[in-house]
Amino acid sequence: MSDEITFQIEQLNFYYGNTQALRDVTLTVLPREITALIGPSGCGKSTFLRCLNRMNDTITDTRISGSIVLNGQNIYAPNIDETELRRQVGLVFQRPNPFPQSIFDNVAFGPRVLGIAYGNDLQELVVQSLRAAALWDEIKEDLKQPALSLSLGQQQRLCIARVLAVTPDVILMDEPCSALDPIATNQIEELIQELKEHYTIVIVTHNMQQAARVSDKTGFFWLGELIEFDETTTIFTRPSLQQTEDYVTGRFG
Amino acid sequence: MIRLSRHHTERIAFSVIGLAAVATAVPIIVIVGSIFFSGAEAVSWQFLLEMPRDGMRSGGIWPAIIGTVYLVVGTGLISIPLGIASAIYLSEYATDSYWTRMIRLAIVNLAGIPSVVYGLFGLGLFVLFLDLGSSIVAACLTLSIMTIPVIISTAEEALRSVPQSFRVVSVGMGATRWQTIRRVVLPQALPGILTGVILGLNRAAGETAPILFTGAAFFLPKLPNSIFDQTMALPYHLFVISTQVPEMPITIQYGTATVLITFVLTMNILAASVRSWQRRKREW
Repeated sequence: MSDEITFQIEQLNFYYGNTQALRDVTLTVLPREITALIGPSGCGKSTFLRCLNRMNDTITDTRISGSIVLNGQNIYAPNIDETELRRQVGLVFQRPNPFPQSIFDNVAFGPRVLGIAYGNDLQELVVQSLRAAALWDEIKEDLKQPALSLSLGQQQRLCIARVLAVTPDVILMDEPCSALDPIATNQIEELIQELKEHYTIVIVTHNMQQAARVSDKTGFFWLGELIEFDETTTIFTRPSLQQTEDYVTGRFG
Repeated sequence: MIRLSRHHTERIAFSVIGLAAVATAVPIIVIVGSIFFSGAEAVSWQFLLEMPRDGMRSGGIWPAIIGTVYLVVGTGLISIPLGIASAIYLSEYATDSYWTRMIRLAIVNLAGIPSVVYGLFGLGLFVLFLDLGSSIVAACLTLSIMTIPVIISTAEEALRSVPQSFRVVSVGMGATRWQTIRRVVLPQALPGILTGVILGLNRAAGETAPILFTGAAFFLPKLPNSIFDQTMALPYHLFVISTQVPEMPITIQYGTATVLITFVLTMNILAASVRSWQRRKREW
């Protein structure tokens, strides 16, 4: 990745049937930065996030125009293997959703299916991923315990470890803390800061403080448009648009 | 007018409902109990493992037992792969179109067709038109047509009950759709699918009408040599010795019924235990 631009999104439009969900979104995501996307519900920020690893492809009757370039390649080009793209651009969901299996099997799932690692290499990869997701110290005694016996916060970190195990470059997070209590939220936020060393992160959040605390850049979505995008400090201290200021100060939304 | 207190009403209501439950269970217990009571003395290793003698009036029922096993295994070989594949298609790939609605409608209706109609259809298609003759293979094909709808609908139900989020996670990590089905959806749905398979095959084991014209033999002095031979089978054998053979000792009739019921009950208990295993395993 080095100094390359990670994601370059230009004039992105997205439609569910006849409803336009995104309008002319243009945005650049830089490597090893945390980009936060904020905005009221239904403003298109989650839809935008799912365009970045083509998860919207799985929904029928949708249409997209514009371009998303990842490390010099348009990810909607016909020769792109979308499964490889999704490995490279991982997605963490709103609700923790581990498989009803052991901790080990959850993390090993991706590497096994994609044939990334076997045997001792797989063991090593699972341990590494659990460490990187800041879960290792809490569960290292028993990797065989069922994932669903963990607390919600631990489950969410497990889901992050599961994504890390397929060695992505970019991690997309769709309101990863909305189902969690403040302590668990805090742990995830600290984890996001650590992950920034190695990964590019795009996070959708409803929580203003969270965006202000964790991110380098913040984008404000409003009715499907990215109406303001800047350094996080700028967005939260002297935004250029009145709407942004009203939203980040909690006057609406 | 007498006004009952709420507690009395409650007690009466529960008594009526409870009686209804008992009333439905009584015939089953009486049937199974009386057959086992009268048939138990006839059942012995000899009875199970010997060929019939004296025009089936003595000896054993081995060819009927082995014939039923052949029919169940053969039906399973055909109907399990086809049924599960169809269920996967309907649950995972098919979009809601005119055609898939027609397919579903056909499956629901197939499940409601009387078994004798399957028998006549099998006679027309497999025995006569495809010229397979009255044979194990024709009987298995006929039984499969009857079994497949049962397997499809229970398997589809089991596949659909796997949470969508599991599929999304798997695809989101770069698995293909087939890998997702193979590694996530099928393992989670397996107990439900197995229940459907066992119930479907159980029906195949107990039916007489579908095999009557397609492969069941009245009496054979030896076991079938190939899938193109006719075979004896437990349910048809029971029908034959109960209605077609004069001076038939009643113990042999009861003994045969005992064996058939044990066969079917065992499969039912197996299905029930798979189902409870599935409930324990399911944590979502």
